[in-house]
Amino acid sequence: MKVDIRHIAKLSRLQVKEEEIQKFEQEMEQIVSMVENLPQLDDTGALIDVNHPMVMREDVAQHHFKREELLKNAPQIKAGCVVVPKIVD
Amino acid sequence: MMDYEIVVGLEVHAELNTNSKIYCSCNNEFGLEVNSQCCPICMGMPGTLPTLNEQVVESAIRMGHALNCSINRICKQDRKNYFYPDLPKAYQISQFDIPLCENGYVDILVDGIEKRIGVTRIHIEEDAGKLLHSDTFDGSLVDFNRCGVPLIEIVSEPDIRSSTEAKAYLEAIKSILQYIDISDCKMQEGSIRCDVNVSVMKRGSNEFGTRVEMKNINSFSGAVHAIDYEANRQMEVLENGGVITQETRRWDDTAGKNVLLRSKEDAHDYRYFPEPDLLTIVLEEDYVNGLKQSIPELPNKKIMRFVKELGLLQADATSIVENIDKCRIFEDTLKAGNCSAKAVSNWVLGDISKIMNETNQPIEHTTKLTATKLAELIQTIESGKISNAAGKKVFEVILKEDKQVADIIKELGLEQISDQNALEQVVNTVMESNTKSIEDYKNGKTNALGFLTGQCMKATKGQGNPAKLKELILNYIQTH
Amino acid sequence: MEMYQYTATELSTMLKEKKCSAVEITKSVIDRIHAVEDKVKAFITVTEDVALQKAEEVDKKIANQQPISELAGIPIAIKDNICTKGVATTCASKMLEHFVPPYNATVIEKLNACDYVPIGKVNMDEFAMGSSTETSYFEKTKNPHDFNRVPGGSSGGSAACVGAGEAVLSLGSDTGGSIRLPASYCGVVGLKPTYSSVSRYGLVAFASSLDQIGPMGRSVSDVAMLYSAICGRDAHDATSAIREYPDFKANLNCDVKGKVIGIPKEYFGEGVSEVVRKNVMQVAKELEKNGAVLREISLPSTGYALSAYYIISSAEASSNLARFDGVKYGYRTAEYNSLIEMYEKTRSEGFGDEVKRRILLGTFVLSSGYYDAYYKRAKLLQQQTTKEFHQEFEKCDVILTPTAPDTAFKIGENINDPLKMYATDICTINVNIAGLPAISVPCGKDENHLPIGVQLIGPKFSEQTLLNTAFAYEQIVGGFSCIPELN
Repeated sequence: MKVDIRHIAKLSRLQVKEEEIQKFEQEMEQIVSMVENLPQLDDTGALIDVNHPMVMREDVAQHHFKREELLKNAPQIKAGCVVVPKIVD
Repeated sequence: MMDYEIVVGLEVHAELNTNSKIYCSCNNEFGLEVNSQCCPICMGMPGTLPTLNEQVVESAIRMGHALNCSINRICKQDRKNYFYPDLPKAYQISQFDIPLCENGYVDILVDGIEKRIGVTRIHIEEDAGKLLHSDTFDGSLVDFNRCGVPLIEIVSEPDIRSSTEAKAYLEAIKSILQYIDISDCKMQEGSIRCDVNVSVMKRGSNEFGTRVEMKNINSFSGAVHAIDYEANRQMEVLENGGVITQETRRWDDTAGKNVLLRSKEDAHDYRYFPEPDLLTIVLEEDYVNGLKQSIPELPNKKIMRFVKELGLLQADATSIVENIDKCRIFEDTLKAGNCSAKAVSNWVLGDISKIMNETNQPIEHTTKLTATKLAELIQTIESGKISNAAGKKVFEVILKEDKQVADIIKELGLEQISDQNALEQVVNTVMESNTKSIEDYKNGKTNALGFLTGQCMKATKGQGNPAKLKELILNYIQTH
Repeated sequence: MEMYQYTATELSTMLKEKKCSAVEITKSVIDRIHAVEDKVKAFITVTEDVALQKAEEVDKKIANQQPISELAGIPIAIKDNICTKGVATTCASKMLEHFVPPYNATVIEKLNACDYVPIGKVNMDEFAMGSSTETSYFEKTKNPHDFNRVPGGSSGGSAACVGAGEAVLSLGSDTGGSIRLPASYCGVVGLKPTYSSVSRYGLVAFASSLDQIGPMGRSVSDVAMLYSAICGRDAHDATSAIREYPDFKANLNCDVKGKVIGIPKEYFGEGVSEVVRKNVMQVAKELEKNGAVLREISLPSTGYALSAYYIISSAEASSNLARFDGVKYGYRTAEYNSLIEMYEKTRSEGFGDEVKRRILLGTFVLSSGYYDAYYKRAKLLQQQTTKEFHQEFEKCDVILTPTAPDTAFKIGENINDPLKMYATDICTINVNIAGLPAISVPCGKDENHLPIGVQLIGPKFSEQTLLNTAFAYEQIVGGFSCIPELN
């Protein structure tokens, strides 16, 4: 199995240095090859667990957070908003 | 140009009008101060977890019933992974392979002909935030208020064959959302949006062409323009010997054209996988079936009933039904009194629509009019107690004042005189002083009759029943 | 004996009997931190002032004869991936170096309600990814038994601070062995609870379907006490189980007569050191002497667990850690010309190598065309493993294995060989894969005086049985002397 680290890095929004590419590729191929040794298993029972149904939340609105509190950790704010580089789409 | 057929599929996103957001207890409200309706959960703070709002599931199931879908009583939610500043967790919780509802349809009316459009699926998901741009500032601002607002995505089959059909489909979906009261459907607030998939094929062919997806369509008329534009673009490409490539294009409503957003090679790899923070949604059969009972008569069925049973013109029926508030006053008025559907329809589409179109609100909210009073008024007119013209005067008063119809008529002295003896006396008096006109009439000047009727009306201060007066005048002329 | 050396169970009684004050306990622990932290480096943040203030409050309550809980006045250290309102929660990452949560994790709310003394936030592998605490951005925590060796990971700080007497109890988190492995390396007791029994709300997610917060301490009774305080249904965590839990400490019982102990041969094979095997089997023999029945069992999927674990945990991690993008909180790179550049530089500079490695792996196994081959297959293996455990638990009450194949390794020894590092988790990973509870308890030392741990695994929600079995062993050996001399 050949792993295209450049493509995966792009998807992950990570920069991988040229000299690291081979290292990462080898490591990942090792891990991936372990998986290829996994036995083939019957997959007729879908991956969905019906024995533990979810309890849902009642539709009641509650509000108790101030904007300042929530934006306190933001790297850059302006006019009550988080700032990001200009987006041209 | 060759004869082509257009093939359209639509993905409609509708925001649900629940109290709280889909995965946290924040207020689900539009238009408030930026970043004021947020909490650590919808802002994707580390460590937070989602909890699913049961009302979202209920609303989606009701839409599923309304669109004749089968409901998956066992389903799950999945993560759709992509990076964008308005998506704080960098994944959207959505549904991938097992949507809540699937395999439905909706019947639409196009040029009086009924057509069935398949609905592939309806799933629940969360909305993203909003990016704000300013020319004076070198950056974009992120407002997270809309993050976690509940959405349903309704995906149609590629059964739509023209922009007219697309518009009819969108309007049908919108009015159903309103009739089952799960979305505010305010286009201008973006509470209902759509993506369009368009392809073209040679007429008579049964092989679909390559489809192109269009984003950023903000209105139904925009959808119509976008579909027509894209279909023409594709036809031109094909006519010039080109090929259509699978891609996503962005519709620019002001420019009236679209531009390439990304090609197939750049298509997102969303890396869907089951949301591990939420368990399986398991719904009781009784609960799901019970929700069917909560679905009212839907607009398309209503139009057909109004035409067939009430004898309305299809255009009138459609105009009434399209607006849930107009339809409500129409039906309530019919229920409240014994008046003809035609008359009620005329009032609703006439004077009442004029006001409602101005205020954009139900008539009961902006005036003192009620269905009961409207019914009373129409009954009074239809029984001949007051004239149409007098009816308009009464209507003006009803709008402003909380008074009984009968009292208003009395106060304004609008009651029509239909009493035979009283009218005979008036006619006799008028005739005796207008012998010249009687002569004229007998000599063939038929417009003299109009003059005589007018004189009688004057004598009754406009309250004489004009039909009866005319009858008595003719009778007088014949017998004298 | 210094105050910091006592167990929480002892201190709780002493407080109730007014033989000491909460301030005295807290001061003793703070003094100990001042004395040894230089060498141990277990903490990222020490919250001395808050701790003393809280201790004073507890003393006031006692003076006013107000009722107090068992944990009142007990200094507890919190792993730095558990959100504490107003106190930095870094996940030992540059990415969250200055992140101060605006809310408390549910477990913190619960401990606050018990009037615990928050002594500080402790070191870990970055985002809990690692087995040695060496991947921390800030510092390398040392094993209190040998400063040249790792404390294990990822909850290395949680284990080391308890082992060094810098805290009486601690909370860790366990995704593949992150509580049990360091407990074993540092000679303390660590419980990985049943998945869904402790709320994950406020635990910065690594692998959502495997993560679980758990208690660490110097005695079984201490761990039972802390577990009782943190378990239970939480409406904020949809995956948390709806059930009632007993008072685990009050119900402790050392009777193992008739209890069937399963010994899975797959956990004693190649790779497990001789001294570990010998000591762990000795535990089985002691329990047998006291009336337990030993039974050989088999868990054939064990060998495949490691790959299934790395697929599932990395896939979830790649998604969970995508939110660290420099937009809303955390590190943002200094210079960038576009959104994409900001994302890529922020994430490349903010994350360490191990985190990047797992994000890449997780992204790969979820990417288009590979989902079925990797992620789905791993999930099927997870089902298979769960089924195997279920079947074996029809034959036995508790499964006994080593916690780790060997004792603590030297700092730097495995850091450049991820696969070798991953292999240290071989005995613990299956437990997470199957969502089961397991406890690691000290069972002697090797020739280098390094602690060895024995792991007891039970069926879902069998924590009481595990604690009782561990308690029985603790009674047999006359308690664990955890805190080494650190001079």
